[in-house]
Amino acid sequence: MTAEILFPEICGLYGDAYNGKYMAMACPQGDFHYTPFTEEPYFAEHPVDLLYIGAMTEDTQRRVLEKLRPLKARLEELIDAGVPILATGNASELFAREIDFITEGVKVQGLGIFDVMVKTDLFRRFNGKVLGDLDGMTVVGFKSQFSFLYGDNTDSYFLKCVRGVGLNPESKLEGLRKKNLICTQLLGPLLVLNPDFCVYFLSLAGMEAQLPYPQAARAAFDQRVKEFSDPKIQFGHNR
Amino acid sequence: MKKLRFYFALWMAKAVRLAMRLLGRNASYLPGKLAVKLCPDFLAHIIPPKTVIAVTGTNGKTTVSNLLTSLLRKSDYTVANNALGSNIQGGVVSALLANATLSGRVKTDAAVLEVDERSSLLVYGDLKPDYLICTNVMRDSIKRNAHPGFIRYLLDKAIPAGTKLILNGDDLICAELAPQCADRTYFGIQAEAPAGAPDLEGLDLVYCPHCGGKLEAEYLRYDHIGRMRCPSCGNASPAPDFLVTEICREAGTVTIAQDGQPQTYKLLNDNIVNIYNQCCVVAVLSRLGLSPEKIAAGLDSVEIVKSRYDHVESGGLKITMQSAKGQNPDACARSFQYVADQPGENKAVFFLIDDKGDSQGSSENPCWVYDCDYSPLAHPSISQLVFSGPRCLDQQLRALIAGVPQEKIALWPSFQGGGHLVDTEKCRDIYILYDVYLDKEALSVKKTLLEKEAGK
Repeated sequence: MTAEILFPEICGLYGDAYNGKYMAMACPQGDFHYTPFTEEPYFAEHPVDLLYIGAMTEDTQRRVLEKLRPLKARLEELIDAGVPILATGNASELFAREIDFITEGVKVQGLGIFDVMVKTDLFRRFNGKVLGDLDGMTVVGFKSQFSFLYGDNTDSYFLKCVRGVGLNPESKLEGLRKKNLICTQLLGPLLVLNPDFCVYFLSLAGMEAQLPYPQAARAAFDQRVKEFSDPKIQFGHNR
Repeated sequence: MKKLRFYFALWMAKAVRLAMRLLGRNASYLPGKLAVKLCPDFLAHIIPPKTVIAVTGTNGKTTVSNLLTSLLRKSDYTVANNALGSNIQGGVVSALLANATLSGRVKTDAAVLEVDERSSLLVYGDLKPDYLICTNVMRDSIKRNAHPGFIRYLLDKAIPAGTKLILNGDDLICAELAPQCADRTYFGIQAEAPAGAPDLEGLDLVYCPHCGGKLEAEYLRYDHIGRMRCPSCGNASPAPDFLVTEICREAGTVTIAQDGQPQTYKLLNDNIVNIYNQCCVVAVLSRLGLSPEKIAAGLDSVEIVKSRYDHVESGGLKITMQSAKGQNPDACARSFQYVADQPGENKAVFFLIDDKGDSQGSSENPCWVYDCDYSPLAHPSISQLVFSGPRCLDQQLRALIAGVPQEKIALWPSFQGGGHLVDTEKCRDIYILYDVYLDKEALSVKKTLLEKEAGK
């Protein structure tokens, strides 16, 4: 398997960097390319079996968009071919139609893979949790964001929220999905926190994952699912 | 009309403060909160002392504020400060009104105000500090502070142009804060510079904020703290005006050169973060006009407050308590590194670093532990790690991924107790790393360990 981790030096905020690192630990035989921002993405000229990009600052988000914009057709080609692509945190927003940076008064065109728009307000931070369902698989995660997405993802969501919010506070459908492109505002070490989802995502690339420390990962996951299922646990608030 | 509103707010808040004090409360937040509720621009009306010093930054602001307050008082200044309470707007206002006359004039010579970065716009909008100290700008709680770029955005927007800045010159994010301010003093550490040019991956400063070119580090002490330059545009860490040129741990001294002139001071604490804090304090006091000799005499008689660092020995058992500020990756990583760097074998580390607030009615987001360098915990001198608190399973997984052997890990899923799990037969050098809101629980663990030792 050839996997590419895009711009890990600047797209790994909030522990997102460990998604790439954990996949590499789970697939020791995989060929992982860590492409710095100063270089052309490996996928531009080479076949890849998996792509990952993690959370970044809002300023970096604008720069990454400009970097990826010329590669939109190639990304669409990979998406159509069913290559698993995971974008976590605000990396997911790159694939939207537009990002409206309300605080700075700037609107930026996204890659337009999904017909949704993003509103980013630096003076309104949302923190939340999601207990989600992915075709019968439980996925748990956290949100900590300045932005919400707006649009219809009825036919293109990642998770059904059992608890927590989806694209925005009115939505119960989290994230965006097109074939094996998964864009989720859940951030942090999503694959570490979700051993089943990690195995599933790697299987989309034809890999049989050997999860590191599977018992410890399972114990932490089970505890979180138990906590998230507790009706006394709060699920979201603004700061 | 506005002034009447201010007086009403001041007198009401003072009355509430008096009542709370009679009830034995600190009154370090609520009176200020009430004052702002009644008069939203309260800070614009209060007559501040001659010198207002604001202390901000991700890590070290409490230590720096406390040291500054102590040392100024030793130099016969009267000082208003918010050491006992909150560092958000309500705490700042409470500290000022506690020292204000009924006409709204703060009676002290100076105010040393620790200000949370997120409160910058609320505080500096109406209260212009004469000096603003920023210790560093690092990753902090993602729930509140998001990322350092966001904090820089807030501070740049909030800091008034006429304020004199005292900044960490070894932190390029911090050093470039508020370009609108012309009067800038930098502090830094030259001594014990690490060798080698490190990789910048995953740091909060990889590309030049001016031209976007890839930065190069001459060296880094931790995270992005060190000396950096941009080969593309020449932007670089500024030359410090106050520079630690020598750290002598054996003699317990530190030499700080002020504009090239060295002066030796008592070393308050040998943790590198506290050496930055001490250098910062020397820079501030010097800018306030205190002579190096007077600063040295003051430093001879102060200590880092025990709520942040304490060390006891009993019958050969050594217990070091150090605050580690949960949800703050850098503060924890520094504590982990500090433990690993200490001489000795068979150390045990007791962790109380989960978020106490999130343990009630929530489930803490553990993302920050993956933003934190746990690799020092795999140091062979550490024989046991006891993770306590509701997130102990997450902590265990993180430690395993960092290379800590499973057999060294013990778990205790509560904030209460757990001290009995420490293997004091094998481990005679014990470190209790605790979040600032878990100080009582940490003291309880210390007590358990001392009782266990006494009962041997």
